[in-house]
Amino acid sequence: MLKNYIIIAWKVLQRRKFFTFISLFGISFTLMVLMVVTSLFDHVFGPQMPERNSDKLLFVNMIRQEGEEGNSMSGPPSYYFLDHYVKKLQTPEKVSISSVFTPLNSYVQNKKLALDLKHTDQAFWEILDFDFVEGRAFGKTELDNASHVAVINENTRKQYFGGESALGKTIEVNQVKYKVIGVVKDVPVLRVHSYADVWVPITLRQSEFKNDDLRGMFFGIIQAKSTGDLSAIKDEYARMMTQVKIKDPKQGTTLYSFPDTLLEAFARTSLGGGRESSVGLFYTLLAIAAFLFMLLPTMNLVNINISRILERSSEIGVRKAFGASSKVIIGQLVVENVFLTFLGGMLGLVLSLGVMQLINNSGVIAYADLGLNVRVFAWGILLCLVFGLISGVYPAYKMSRLNAVEALRGGTK
Amino acid sequence: MIRHLFKLIWNRKKSNFLLISEIFFSFLVLFGVLSFGLYNYHNYQKPLGFTHDDVWLLTLQTQSDSTAEKLAVEEQVIQRMRSFPEVEQVAFTSGNAPFAFSSMMNRLSYGNVKDLDANQYDVEDAYKDVLGLKIVQGRWFGPQDGTTLHEPIVINRQLQKDLFHGEDPIGKLLTPINDSVQYRVIGVTDYFRASSEYSPEEGAFFTRINRQKDQSTWGSLLIKVKPGTGVAFEEKMMRELGLIAKGWTMDVSTLEKMRQTKSRLTLVPLIALAVVCGFLVFNVALGLFGVLWYNINKRTGEIGLRRAMGATTRQIRAQFVGEVVVLAFFGVVLGLLLAVQFPLLDVFQVASGIYWQGMALAGLFIFLLTTLCALYPSRQASGIQPAVALHEE
Repeated sequence: MLKNYIIIAWKVLQRRKFFTFISLFGISFTLMVLMVVTSLFDHVFGPQMPERNSDKLLFVNMIRQEGEEGNSMSGPPSYYFLDHYVKKLQTPEKVSISSVFTPLNSYVQNKKLALDLKHTDQAFWEILDFDFVEGRAFGKTELDNASHVAVINENTRKQYFGGESALGKTIEVNQVKYKVIGVVKDVPVLRVHSYADVWVPITLRQSEFKNDDLRGMFFGIIQAKSTGDLSAIKDEYARMMTQVKIKDPKQGTTLYSFPDTLLEAFARTSLGGGRESSVGLFYTLLAIAAFLFMLLPTMNLVNINISRILERSSEIGVRKAFGASSKVIIGQLVVENVFLTFLGGMLGLVLSLGVMQLINNSGVIAYADLGLNVRVFAWGILLCLVFGLISGVYPAYKMSRLNAVEALRGGTK
Repeated sequence: MIRHLFKLIWNRKKSNFLLISEIFFSFLVLFGVLSFGLYNYHNYQKPLGFTHDDVWLLTLQTQSDSTAEKLAVEEQVIQRMRSFPEVEQVAFTSGNAPFAFSSMMNRLSYGNVKDLDANQYDVEDAYKDVLGLKIVQGRWFGPQDGTTLHEPIVINRQLQKDLFHGEDPIGKLLTPINDSVQYRVIGVTDYFRASSEYSPEEGAFFTRINRQKDQSTWGSLLIKVKPGTGVAFEEKMMRELGLIAKGWTMDVSTLEKMRQTKSRLTLVPLIALAVVCGFLVFNVALGLFGVLWYNINKRTGEIGLRRAMGATTRQIRAQFVGEVVVLAFFGVVLGLLLAVQFPLLDVFQVASGIYWQGMALAGLFIFLLTTLCALYPSRQASGIQPAVALHEE
């Protein structure tokens, strides 16, 4: 039955090439845009190198101090706060502290390199899963001695050392020399918690460890023992926050800080004003945007489908006369339309690969590595299905109500 | 004739409903994107009010807590900078240097105007020469401002307009919201839009940095270098400054590069939006074309009859193009009903002229597009021979 429907659909497609082209063009471009956006979303929030096991990770990147008169100050937490409070938590498996990256200059052969430098501890390398091209991460000894060692990314190796092996060589950043001990694959800039060009030991900034302000320039990454532990960690974190001593109550008496997943962290700072985790709102906004974007192409497709199906009114009339129910006819027409959307979807997939490549190469997003994976692909299929159903149901419903006698006469006027 | 066309469309309103709503949504999309584009274009057209060629920004940061040490280092840095032959002028500024990602707002009141938000720039005297500011009234800061009772400020023309409404601002006293001293206006500059080429003209004022008097550090240094100075000097400069400011983080960037970063921030979303909008409209145009073609082909009988009654090909063509224009008219009018709310309710604080222009352009575009889509099918329709068409019946 299904095979029969698809064969009919295929034949209908070949009947009027121009209409087929219009439909496929609309479908493939719509799905292309949606797939590129999905891929971008996955690139920012999904599990990607080096945050591969992101379902077990929580990030602390903001602490907010609010006063009674509505005055507030917010920013990344300090080393003191992360070390004294967050590291003392019982439920997490590991807690890592790393600095917010700082842009610095480096000069090589009369060329300027703008490098982003990040200070990290040992847990950083254990929690995150970097792809090492050569060498290794720094460990306990280097951290204890505050050694001038660095892990650099592939792009820096290419720019600074001309792509040769960099192990054991010296790199100078902001007039300070570091010995390169490892090279990793480029981390996309949108991964703010792990991204940098050069990673060096956090103990090089020991002078800041004593400063007992709550706000500073550091990030915390919490690794849970299992995915199920996340809520337990959040609970313990909330209890811990009530114990935090406020040194300067003039700046505010209420503190807000949360361990968040990547998506929560983004939604909280952009929509929740630093207090609410507005993930629900974020998804709602996304859904509205997607709906609005799909509205015009859908209407267009509905319009075209109605015209095309009208041509087949005598076929439908015959089927009705031989006892096909409205339901069966709706089923057939919807299947045909979903088939068409999937064809368009395939085209869209190919197009989106091209666009992703374009974005990757354009350098609009540093070290972007957009691509297809199972998650993006699954979303693409789902989007196709939704699009096909929405644009197929209305014309099919309209046609199924055709009066058989009228339809057999060949007109719907 | 026109009334007749309206009647024709109205009688088929149910089957035309989808087409009309498609045109309606296309109009809204076009209106939105065009207004956004026009807004940025209008801003871009206005002069920046300063020249950023050969100007570098050096930022200095330290983790040290000792103010005395910080002040000493900053003083040494600026002395050393002045001694380089490649450097023409240097001036300390607050963090909101041109094209930087930071801003500082203050609230000013004067007369009836209460709590007006304006950008505050703390600058040294040489700032004017580094950026080539133009003073149109009064004067810029000078050494004589060191001992005045009121803090001298220079305002830009926009602030003069917002605050004084054409009154002569020189010598007037202003009270800022978060400061104990009063400001005294001593001069007016021309345009000054420092945040980005695409940012709107906002009120701005300059306060004078007096490093002899107040014990604060500034961290941002604007440097005007001789034309043609390149990376070789930059490296030498950073190496020498590194010896003075040991353990400090220093970053240097050209204003030109910062300008590019800032403008990319506006242009990339704009281009992405334009591409998506272009695709949507093209898609709609294709669909419209297909549907019109199909509908007109179905009406051969009617056309044949009219031809047999003596209508010329021209009249047939005019009828079909006219019908489509009426369709577009319905869609655009519906869209306009929604679009006029934007300037009327003053959404997003955009000058209403931009909205009106956006509406006019979007409407024009829609009519052009629908007419183009209708031309080919109606030409085909007008070519129908009455004998053939009527014979088919």
